[in-house]
Amino acid sequence: MVASVKSGLAGARGAVIICFAACLLLMSWFAPGMFTPRNVGNLFSNLLPLLVLTTGEMLVLIGGGIDLSVTSIMAVASVLGAKMMNGGNGWLAGSPWAAPSAVVAMLLACAALGALNGLAVTRLEMPPFIVSLTTMMLFSGAAVWATKSRNIDRLPAAFCRIGGAPYPLLIAAALVLSTHALLRRSVWGRWLYAVGMNARTSLVSGVPVQAITVAAYAASGSFAAVAAVLYTARLETGSPVLGQRVFLDVIAAAVIGGASLSGGRGGIPGILGGVLFVAALDNALNLVGFSFSVVLMAKGAVILAAAALDTARSRAWGAART
Amino acid sequence: MSRRMIQSAATLSLVLLAGCGKGPARQIVGVTFETLQTEYWVASRNAIEADLKHRGIDMLEAIADGDANRQFEQVRNFITRHVDGIIVVPKDAQTVVPMIREANRAGIPIALFNRPPAKSDARSVAVVADNLAIARDTVSYIAAETLKRTGPHQAAILIGDLGDINAINRRDGFEQAIQPYAGRIEVVSRVPTEWSQEMALSGITNALQAHPGIDLVFASSDLLLPSVVSALKAKGRYVKIGEPGHVTLGGFDGDATAYQMLRDGYLDATGVQDVAFDTAATVQALLDLKAGKNVPETIVDPGFVLHQGNLRTESARTWGASVKKF
Repeated sequence: MVASVKSGLAGARGAVIICFAACLLLMSWFAPGMFTPRNVGNLFSNLLPLLVLTTGEMLVLIGGGIDLSVTSIMAVASVLGAKMMNGGNGWLAGSPWAAPSAVVAMLLACAALGALNGLAVTRLEMPPFIVSLTTMMLFSGAAVWATKSRNIDRLPAAFCRIGGAPYPLLIAAALVLSTHALLRRSVWGRWLYAVGMNARTSLVSGVPVQAITVAAYAASGSFAAVAAVLYTARLETGSPVLGQRVFLDVIAAAVIGGASLSGGRGGIPGILGGVLFVAALDNALNLVGFSFSVVLMAKGAVILAAAALDTARSRAWGAART
Repeated sequence: MSRRMIQSAATLSLVLLAGCGKGPARQIVGVTFETLQTEYWVASRNAIEADLKHRGIDMLEAIADGDANRQFEQVRNFITRHVDGIIVVPKDAQTVVPMIREANRAGIPIALFNRPPAKSDARSVAVVADNLAIARDTVSYIAAETLKRTGPHQAAILIGDLGDINAINRRDGFEQAIQPYAGRIEVVSRVPTEWSQEMALSGITNALQAHPGIDLVFASSDLLLPSVVSALKAKGRYVKIGEPGHVTLGGFDGDATAYQMLRDGYLDATGVQDVAFDTAATVQALLDLKAGKNVPETIVDPGFVLHQGNLRTESARTWGASVKKF
């Protein structure tokens, strides 16, 4: 019985992939230049920071949580790095160590902010949604306060080069592959899935649930910092509102990619597909020249469909386990 | 029968293929707006579309929804489509610079509408209203109107997003205009709004609570006027011009709300950006760049002040007068 449900689920997932592939083909029919080398290059350039951000979010989702503050953490990272290294009144202006020091500071600070989320969820036993919603406001407000809502430009050329090919590809590939190995080959990965499926049972089985959860949030924060590096470098500007509107894309890519909002499921191959689909949808709708309202409606419909499929999959999964 | 069908299909294909080759391909201009959340942007978008259509040019549209990275990707998409020109309404002066560089590298002319870029080596043309002068003239007018009443007088300004050079220029225009009246008009509140109506409402409500003597309010955008009206109504101070207790009101943009408030006798003046001039100048500059002509880096829209004295004569130039309200 369980085997038949599982094979049904696999079939459903296959159907989802086929549906989305058909969607892409349909879009490419109407979107001129969709598969030209230049546009494919654009597409990958656009999706790499999103891929990094979504990979971090996926870790939290697998562990049964959600991090709404990832884009605010990105904004904090962008502002912190820019304040350190900008050529005007940057704390390290003119130093050859400005760019590397800023990147390290961004990573450490964002890992700490992510861990803060994790500690609030585990130690204070607050719902992840409420924790990350409030820290989203807190971090976002801090980024705006620190800059008085102004962008910071004059970033070092060495840093801005990170935003151009091939660095985003190399960085994203390294992160994604190491995450894949971590999830598939390490005890930590198996524990994370176990915590997401059932935290109480995991705890009884000796899994360090709190440490695993905090680590997932900290990793998500670090991934947000890397995404901030990529976004900030290509815009050559530190922005207190960096990526404010990206969050829906992150959730859409994660859910389409098979990461469950109920926890316990998800993986890099699916996330790659989800991010590719979201980026391609945006790209194709832009190439066709649809109005903004149509783009919003189309994306909303796709996210709704993905969430509905996720709910159906979760129900079937639950039925299979009982 | 089947041979006849094949012959017909082949003939039809040849006719279609021949048809495809006839005539020059229509030009396409990519237009990306940072947002369409205000009447001004919607009116500008419609005016650009109408101008391009009038010249036989197709418009490829994208809205960045306040996200500079998305706008960067949209510009890249335009380049992929080999558009003949790009018009950007940038989120800010800094993040648009890499976009201009991308267009420069692709050899596609690029024009910025309403917001100039930061200083850089990137080449573009920007069509911008003289925000400082228009704000200064508007505030000079409302300050003079305020002084017709007996004092003391207190003023408040609603400041926009200080990451936006236009907001800074409008604030500076206010300060320049109010400076000569120091001693007679005291600026008691400078409300930061970041172009948010909610922030504007709470800010001006607090200002009116702390300083009940405020009798001059300048909103850096007409977008913020509904917040001012709401706060004044709550205090029972939303009174027509000429009636006791009137608070002198000034705005900036010339949108439909401001125009209606002027007609109804509540708003004293608003600085108007000439949308028709701005859009025509932007499209023309783009075509001139494409034709290899010399175009100045910045084209300035002098704008004008619409007030109770010239409402009848200047309505036709005010874009807000022709916007339909639902």
